[in-house]
Amino acid sequence: MLFNNLSKVTLALVVTLFLGACATQQATTTTTTTKSDDAYTGTETVKFLADGVPDRVFFSTNKSDLTSAATTTLAKQATYLKANPTLNIVLEGHADERGTREYNLALGERRAIAAKNYLTSNGVAANRIKVISYGKEKPANPASNVLAWSQNRRTVTIKTN
Amino acid sequence: MKYKIFTIFILFFILTSKSFALVSVDITRGNLDPLPTAISDFYLDPKLGDNIKKLQLESKIPELIQNNLSRSGLFFALEKKSFIQRPEPAHNKPRFEDWIFIKTQVLVTGKISLEKEDRLRVEFKLWDVVSATELSALAFYTTPDNWRRVSHMISDKIYERLTGEKGYFDSRIIYVSETGNKVDKKKRLAVMDQDGYGVKYLTLGNELVLTPRFSPTSQHVTYMSYFRNLPRVYLLNIETGIQDLVGDFPGMTFAPRFSPDGKKIIMSFAQEGNSDIYTMDIKTRVVEKLTDHPSIDTSPSYSPDGSYITFNSDRSGFQQIYTMKSDGTNIKRISFGEGLYGTPVWSPRGDLIAFTKLYRNKFYIGVMRSDGSGERLLTENYYQEAPSWAPNGRVLIFYRETPSDSSGRGGGAKLWSIDLTGYNERLILTPTDASDPSWSGLLSGK
Amino acid sequence: MQKSLKISFIAHFVILIISSVTLPFLMGRVQAPLVISVDLVQIGDRTNIPYAPKVSDGEKTDKKIKDRVVTEQAPPKIVPKEKPDAVPLPENIKQIKELLEKRQNPVKVEDLTKQTSEFEKKEIFDPNKISALIDKSKKDNAEANNKPSLEATQSQQKNVVTSKLTITQEDAIKAQIFKCWNIPIGLPYNENLTVRIKIKLNPDGSLVSSEILDQARMSTAGQTYYKILAESALRAVKLCNPLKVPSTGYEKWREMQLNFDAKEMLKG
Repeated sequence: MLFNNLSKVTLALVVTLFLGACATQQATTTTTTTKSDDAYTGTETVKFLADGVPDRVFFSTNKSDLTSAATTTLAKQATYLKANPTLNIVLEGHADERGTREYNLALGERRAIAAKNYLTSNGVAANRIKVISYGKEKPANPASNVLAWSQNRRTVTIKTN
Repeated sequence: MKYKIFTIFILFFILTSKSFALVSVDITRGNLDPLPTAISDFYLDPKLGDNIKKLQLESKIPELIQNNLSRSGLFFALEKKSFIQRPEPAHNKPRFEDWIFIKTQVLVTGKISLEKEDRLRVEFKLWDVVSATELSALAFYTTPDNWRRVSHMISDKIYERLTGEKGYFDSRIIYVSETGNKVDKKKRLAVMDQDGYGVKYLTLGNELVLTPRFSPTSQHVTYMSYFRNLPRVYLLNIETGIQDLVGDFPGMTFAPRFSPDGKKIIMSFAQEGNSDIYTMDIKTRVVEKLTDHPSIDTSPSYSPDGSYITFNSDRSGFQQIYTMKSDGTNIKRISFGEGLYGTPVWSPRGDLIAFTKLYRNKFYIGVMRSDGSGERLLTENYYQEAPSWAPNGRVLIFYRETPSDSSGRGGGAKLWSIDLTGYNERLILTPTDASDPSWSGLLSGK
Repeated sequence: MQKSLKISFIAHFVILIISSVTLPFLMGRVQAPLVISVDLVQIGDRTNIPYAPKVSDGEKTDKKIKDRVVTEQAPPKIVPKEKPDAVPLPENIKQIKELLEKRQNPVKVEDLTKQTSEFEKKEIFDPNKISALIDKSKKDNAEANNKPSLEATQSQQKNVVTSKLTITQEDAIKAQIFKCWNIPIGLPYNENLTVRIKIKLNPDGSLVSSEILDQARMSTAGQTYYKILAESALRAVKLCNPLKVPSTGYEKWREMQLNFDAKEMLKG
């Protein structure tokens, strides 16, 4: 009788230990995603240059690196632009409102250039592309929340002719 | 004879070996309340013509002085209705007991009389009623319509005499007036007296305008505009309204300021994702590149003697504050706290650099010494930035925004000011929403 | 020859006596009581005047009291604390705001001042009247069982000269002047701005005269801050006129030097 109880308890203990180990293992695997990887991945506010060609890419806070989603979109844009060689575009770089105004102007320019560099290195002639930064002056979503801010950190491609 | 010598000898000894101990008491506390001040109506010379009398300067000038001094937070102006003595006798010879009775410590009196045909003489006196002395007496000559400037200059004199610091009331503020929806705001340059009077719009609002700054003489403004959809730095003459493009840059220029001698404009120029700091001599148009780094270098601000520049750079990976010599050498990082630092601006006194800090999703306005030590945060808010110094280096003006909802409602921007000590945080009233404020120097030039 | 020698001898002797007893007698002033002037505050007490509270208030006052017991004449030097230049976390802002609010609303101190002067009335010896002194000491010896420090009797005279005020007397005067002194907020706190003012009082505490001791500084160029602080200190003295003073011990406080130092207040 006692032996039974004891073995049950030890069994329970052993099981919980295993579970605990699993839990911690899970925790360690999630540390690779840092807080600053908060680029918007949704479809709200997104317009289209043509069927299946989104007009914008999004960035993480304070960053101008292209995410994999961004490169996918830009690749589509490059293909589209190469197929329509008379089209010219302007790339508008933007920042969210959670930063100082002047720095955000510079950050917007950096984001626009990031997109431009991708396009030019994928066959689009540089003289077809103009670049402008609006800093935080023209938000796509005027709300003051994390979602809106992520939707505002963007480079938008606009046809100029 | 011998006894005389004897007593003299003894007395001599007595007098020299006297031991005297004066009780010494340390007074190390007091109160930091604003100084009780009485500003009497001025005495208006009855010989003045009706056209002057109808201006009611005898009460308007003291009212302006009172508003200035009260707003500074350092003076407590007493109610006029408690005053016992009338303006004329008070100005000639105050009956100090009358003023002590109403619990003031200092008193301002004045007299307005005719100097020549169309010129007024405005005289004021500052009294210490407790010690029954006259602290200051000055006269200004001016045309009647300039009475506001005279009031501000008198306010500065009083302020200086009682605090030891230069005043800041004879100055103007330039800012960006904002109207319309957040998604597509209409922005115009606006200029006003430091007390909010006399707002004048300098641009029409057809294109975005940002970050305007006064020249040292307050005659010109430099700012960034999206005129013709090209974001560039411009120079505007306030009197004539003429706008000139600054330089001929093949890309976005922004964040402009004047050098303390007014000869150059310093700004950022962005190309290929890199923003560096440049200067351009206004007359010769010679352009000089000061920073050369793939990072973002922006928000440059000169020290008051023009020998150093403070600026914002993310070369460390995040926005921080740096200083360098005005030739671009000797770059030193001075901000090391947690968070992001931006918009550094050097005090006209040369002792401090004010800045914006973003930490844990909150914005702070703070100051630090030019070597980065002594960081002090003055105020915290959901969103605020871009401090600018009053000419005496004691007060900061900046702007705040409130959060907005999904339709863009809410998000209004307003101008605020705060004293260097963290006291006296005040809203500055403007007819529209306002952002990007910048304070001029003293209009009299000193 | 003999006579002059005698005179010389007498003269020397007289001078010796005089110099060994220091002379105020002959000036008509009785400065040194012939008994120990005791500080009748119970040891360990400190006058608890709730003026504008500061973060480390208690520690400072304790330290000052200790210093004074050791050095009699000179006022204790205030050594400025070295503060490390820390980056303040946002929490500090709330602390600073609270401090500011407290500073701007100092608690009234009238009650306590009254208390201390009553205390004085009972206990202080009047050195002017030596006979009364004798009676008092007898009376006090009879009364004071739990005050062992009060053992001064004629037989235990010591020539200890103290012209200082007791701690309670001093604090009582301080508390009044603290209330009257409106410090100009704009002054820098890192400059040497101590204003020394000498005041003369009537026995009822009313002001006879007040004068700045560093007069030269008032008219020196570049000393504007000093001048402004001095003017504010003079106003404080005049606004506090008449001062509440002890009813005895006039000789001690008829002339005082007030050292106005705004450093602690301005530092924040």
